[in-house]
Amino acid sequence: MNYVALWTLVKREVIRSLKIINQVIWPPIITTLLYVFVFGLALGRAIPSVQGVTYAQFLIPGLIMLQVIDASYGECSSSLFQGRFMNSIQELLIAPMSAFEVVAGYILGSLARSLLIAGLITSLGIVLVHIAPRDWPLFLGVIVLVSVLFSALGLIFGLLAEKFDQIAILTTFVITPLTFVGGVFTSAEMLPPVLRRLQLFNPIFYTIDAFRRSYTGHSYLSPAFSIAMIVLLAAIALAVILRLTAIGYKLRT
Amino acid sequence: MQSGEFFGFLGPNGAGKTTTINAIVGLARTNGGTIRIFGHDNRTQWREARRLIGLSPQEYNFDRYLSIRDVLIFAAGYYGLRGKAVIERADMLLERFGLTGHAHLEYTKLSGGQKRRLSLARALIHSPKLLILDEPTAGVDVELRIELWQWLRALNEDGLTIFLTTHYLEEAEELCKRIAIIRGGRIVTEKPTKELIADGASLQDVFLELVRSG
Repeated sequence: MNYVALWTLVKREVIRSLKIINQVIWPPIITTLLYVFVFGLALGRAIPSVQGVTYAQFLIPGLIMLQVIDASYGECSSSLFQGRFMNSIQELLIAPMSAFEVVAGYILGSLARSLLIAGLITSLGIVLVHIAPRDWPLFLGVIVLVSVLFSALGLIFGLLAEKFDQIAILTTFVITPLTFVGGVFTSAEMLPPVLRRLQLFNPIFYTIDAFRRSYTGHSYLSPAFSIAMIVLLAAIALAVILRLTAIGYKLRT
Repeated sequence: MQSGEFFGFLGPNGAGKTTTINAIVGLARTNGGTIRIFGHDNRTQWREARRLIGLSPQEYNFDRYLSIRDVLIFAAGYYGLRGKAVIERADMLLERFGLTGHAHLEYTKLSGGQKRRLSLARALIHSPKLLILDEPTAGVDVELRIELWQWLRALNEDGLTIFLTTHYLEEAEELCKRIAIIRGGRIVTEKPTKELIADGASLQDVFLELVRSG
């Protein structure tokens, strides 16, 4: 195992995020602030408490998941695609690095970005709406698993894409709609029975439902079941990207 | 190739020079044959083989988010190297290739010649035993070309094995102890440079005759 190479790639990904901080760190924070003010503090006053907390407080975990999913997918897909486009990925491919080390390096770099964003939004939640996680192991565990899942998906699409706009297809048509209907703004109990059943087919629902429990202590499904679903999906995505990287798909001629 | 050799690999466009290099360094998948780097099979012992190779590619592929100094330090990291020794070697290479004054700039701020020197410095950061140069003097001015020749000769005299592809035949004649000429993916001749041009013909005449025949 080439740990130095793995750590070097993680550092490189963090440097990349910090160099483009105005594109990748501040926008999700500002978007979150807007959601909290508009939906939480303004419109939310009309909504009675949800899961034992105010609507503004209820929003915070959903908004963290929204941004963690977006950051994880965005970091890995665009970094890998750029590396392919600029050929700088060749540095990794000619180095004594295994497919696992390359994939792990990208994912851990993406996780670092997700944790930074999650940390900033958590702080905003504490300061603005006075809510903090109650269950820190669940809080951190779900962020890590969700980040791994969406980073792996980002790598897959960063590898498959032929043009930069193609990596946005999954975000625009799948991830963002599923995230919005997956419980960021609503609890399952607020939905009619038909939609409640349909939500079980939305993988993002499991991530938000389990994560919100770390804040409110309430979840629609058992957190163990939701976590098992996330682990299963992450394992499938990881297996796919490790295989594609190992055979050099779209990386080696 | 023999250890310590300065080997020229010539051929017309599309002959397979870069493909051969990609197969050696692991950028191309092979479906047959064996490539050994100082005894290490580059498929079964790829970690050992890759540690021994330094590549200066034809196209610049530097990381746009890193400073020039970090380009070298991070490249060393990918080879499993870190610490004070790496920083000292990076600074030594920047000094050697006249890039110290630009160490904190991004590579996009460099001229073509400076980028070429950075590419060479990066290929050498992990002290490889085999340096592969894919058209290292393409697009550089005469002054820098001669300077690069001096550096390459000095590196070879220090024991570094060098594999060079170039379209400048006088460059191959000047630097290489042995030359192979490839056409359509097959080596059509491989001889010491002196033997190749022994009967008074120029390397250009020999090259043109070989690539046009058959």
